[in-house]
Amino acid sequence: MSLRQNQAKAIITQALDQASLGDVRVSLDASKGGNARWGDSMPTTSGDIETLTVSVTAVTRDGRRATAKGNDTSKTGLAKLVGQAEAMAALSPVDPEVMPPRGKTAYLSAKAFDRKVSTMKASGRAPIVKAAIEAGTGQGLAMSGVLAHADHTVAAGDRAGLFAYSRTTQMRASTTARTADGTGSAKAARVGFAADAVDGSALASEAALWSLRSKEPTLLDPGDYTVVLAPQAVADLLSFLIGQMSHRQATEGRSFFSAAGGKTKIGQALFDDSITLTSDPTDAKNPAAIMTGGGDPQPKVTWIEAGVLKALRAGRYWADQAGVAVRPMPSSMHLAGGTGSVDDLVSQVDKGVLVSRFWYNRMLRPQTITATGLTRDGTFWIEGGKIVRPVKNLRYNDSPVTLLTKVAAMGAAVRAGGTTDSTVVVPPMVVEGFHFDSTSDAV
Amino acid sequence: MSSYRRDFLALSGLATASLLLPGRAWAMPAGAKQPAPASPPPQGGNASAALSASRVPADLPVAKKAIEAAIAAGASYADARLVVYRTESIGVRDDHVQAVSNNEDYGIGVRVIADGGWGFAAAPRVDEKTAVALAKTAVDSAKRSGAMLKSLGKPPVEWVKAPVAKGSWVAPFEVDPFEVSLADKAALLIEASKAVMSTPGVAHASGGISIVGEDRAFVSSEGAEVHQIAYRIAPRLTATAVSRRLGRFANRDLEVMGMQAGWEYVTGLDMLGHAPDIAQDVLRKLHAAPVAPGERAVILAPSNLWLTIHESIGHPTELDRAMGLEADKAGTSFLRPDDAGSRKIAAKGVNLVADRTQPGGLATVGWDDDGVQTGRWDIVRDGTFVGWQTTRDQAGWAGEAQSRGCSYGQRYSGVAFQRMPNISLQPGTEGYTTEDLINATEDGVLVTGRGSWSIDQQRYNFQFSGQMFWEIKRGRLTRPLRDVAYQANTVDFWNSCDMIGGKGTYRLGGTFGDGKGQPMQSNAVSHGCPPARFQANIVNTGGGK
Repeated sequence: MSLRQNQAKAIITQALDQASLGDVRVSLDASKGGNARWGDSMPTTSGDIETLTVSVTAVTRDGRRATAKGNDTSKTGLAKLVGQAEAMAALSPVDPEVMPPRGKTAYLSAKAFDRKVSTMKASGRAPIVKAAIEAGTGQGLAMSGVLAHADHTVAAGDRAGLFAYSRTTQMRASTTARTADGTGSAKAARVGFAADAVDGSALASEAALWSLRSKEPTLLDPGDYTVVLAPQAVADLLSFLIGQMSHRQATEGRSFFSAAGGKTKIGQALFDDSITLTSDPTDAKNPAAIMTGGGDPQPKVTWIEAGVLKALRAGRYWADQAGVAVRPMPSSMHLAGGTGSVDDLVSQVDKGVLVSRFWYNRMLRPQTITATGLTRDGTFWIEGGKIVRPVKNLRYNDSPVTLLTKVAAMGAAVRAGGTTDSTVVVPPMVVEGFHFDSTSDAV
Repeated sequence: MSSYRRDFLALSGLATASLLLPGRAWAMPAGAKQPAPASPPPQGGNASAALSASRVPADLPVAKKAIEAAIAAGASYADARLVVYRTESIGVRDDHVQAVSNNEDYGIGVRVIADGGWGFAAAPRVDEKTAVALAKTAVDSAKRSGAMLKSLGKPPVEWVKAPVAKGSWVAPFEVDPFEVSLADKAALLIEASKAVMSTPGVAHASGGISIVGEDRAFVSSEGAEVHQIAYRIAPRLTATAVSRRLGRFANRDLEVMGMQAGWEYVTGLDMLGHAPDIAQDVLRKLHAAPVAPGERAVILAPSNLWLTIHESIGHPTELDRAMGLEADKAGTSFLRPDDAGSRKIAAKGVNLVADRTQPGGLATVGWDDDGVQTGRWDIVRDGTFVGWQTTRDQAGWAGEAQSRGCSYGQRYSGVAFQRMPNISLQPGTEGYTTEDLINATEDGVLVTGRGSWSIDQQRYNFQFSGQMFWEIKRGRLTRPLRDVAYQANTVDFWNSCDMIGGKGTYRLGGTFGDGKGQPMQSNAVSHGCPPARFQANIVNTGGGK
């Protein structure tokens, strides 16, 4: 469903009015959107989907807390939900980490809504899908992909005066082109809040071009290599870093960011001095969510500045305990870059591997943020500043820490089109001594 | 009994497999070990009470209205699903509750074929007006899809016949897990967590229980009418040890599996009794020697092997992947559509069977979301790949007249498509025990429990870790190891399988989180197996330090 501000407020108020406990918190998550998929160069499934979740958290005076969620917004439905949350809270043990209700809260503002995306239907999807398929079939390629659009509302309120509301749109598409002989594959992806973020034909042409270049790869022995990482490959690895940037885990000695004596590494120069990592939901070109689903504001944060660790994530309870600012899992990540494209970076490399993206990335060892995964959709050998041949995919066992310490060059930062659950803006990078462990025949 | 085994038992004083391999709490619902095909699968004695308590049948007229409206708008086929999807989760950390929540969503999803294309529409409101609007929207999508297929020179959806599904099914359970109070659930978890913490050297413990309930009706323009209810339940318990001196920490999860069952499954596990095992193990793990990398034998306990089966056999035998339909996300397959029946992918004696009727299996159900009655069939027979996972719109691609019944849509809002059935490695005929496998191994590593996992998009190269790792030298478990992962190529790996445990060692593992599709949907699926021995490349994931 799409919810206007007054509709969201009416639902939240109606739920809060039926509460018997003094501390009841309500949040809404509603979406109205659609998608179309294609595979083997034919449309497969297509649909229009509405979802809604009303979430009610009840907290007793002595700190018992529980959350009940449902999707019935009738007066009786909401009453039932509030009653359920209150009953569950009464049955729950005391939670020493419960925080007082948030009350009136200030949020940053960001424009990330496009009416064209909000009103899109099958009639709007079909031409984009057709263009994406036809951009590849003319060259004998098997095209697959997805186009998805959503109008997404998040709202929150409590009995202490909080009311927060945010409505955004998202348009995204990705497409994979595979060569007829099954030896070449490439993917292109775009995401943004506006309808013009996706051009089906341009997207598919990019995937088609690179799939042909990636055809008939040959073996490259595993080992340590200089790599040129396309922005998506940087984004794929960077996601492990933010996941480990918990102030609590660091204080408890359970993280790469732990220092001796129950301290964290905040203030230490951990990375190359070219590295600055920030979050900014208000970025005009690449806006992001201004609040979490529960109503926590998303602040602007400098996580790493010129290689020095400046901040770690903390929820409300832990921020209070540790005396640090509340910093939820961010909705955006911006890694400051330089100038130039992937091609420009390739031209600076004498011998190395160009990685388009990584796949099936899994954490191995939080102490060093070591992860494993494989290259996918176009891996190339570079010699004398030029791409000379496609190579078979490689499995890495390495860390985003390597990325941020052994960086040799960076291009201009762009939005990683394949990362859709948050806004990630990163540059392509040249990194030295990246470790590949084994090879794969997968295309 | 081999001499290795006698020596081992004499030296260690350990007499049973449960002492040999602590840290697992592995009860299974009745019948889960018996591979007895039954269609529909057995249901519990309280099925009729569960069905009559459901809110879903009252809305069947709304679902039928959607079908009527779809046919009137030009659909050649239509189905509608009414789905109540309930979840409850409770988490504890150390000595207190950290999060308690439940979620119940209800809605209707309408799926149609019109002009040879698929269309779908779903909403969280179940009323006739919404149903009619959804039907029209779905038909509009389908017609556009059908027109595009035609203009691209592609064939229309081929929908193979199936007997008209009529009936009801309830997964066996004794105690409705949603009826047990949160206070009781929390008390059970906190007690277990405190027991983990009571071992000196353990820094933290955490635990939790996730419960899913699906109450769903399916009706179709072919006259199908099915009502089904199932509960799934997954407990967890983890010990954490930190050594500031060594600058290291370790986690050890209890080897406990998600199961299609009621609350009786949790009470039967005795998590409290197993808490000291994982506390001891996490300290062993913290101080364990780093593994030396290289090729050698790995013995994979069922608590580890189930996920390897899921990733290396389950996914590549999904027909839509082999056809290229999932190429943009999950990937394709090393198997080609014409490989069934001829391609050898495993050693002789390796038999893998798909079964959606197995009691306790998370993918067990009476009828799938195409209205096809579920069953049991071979995926790998004596080392040769023989059978695909299919749905009604895929069976024709496999040259088959009937679907294997692998269609599933998560919640009301997920369109049904091909999802994995329970796929299980069958026990060996020699009747080996875990000790037999260890005793017969000169140089190897025993891997138990689920760790990190990663595999490529065609399912060739994988690297999996585990919870606990024991060095095996000359037929004995010599010492615990850390930072272990095993890496291999799927076909090489399954061809290297040279010992498989017997019937008594078979266990069922599983996950709620088998992800596939765009937008992604989660499927719940189980994989049974005995322990088995393979050759793999051991990787040190700690960078050798």
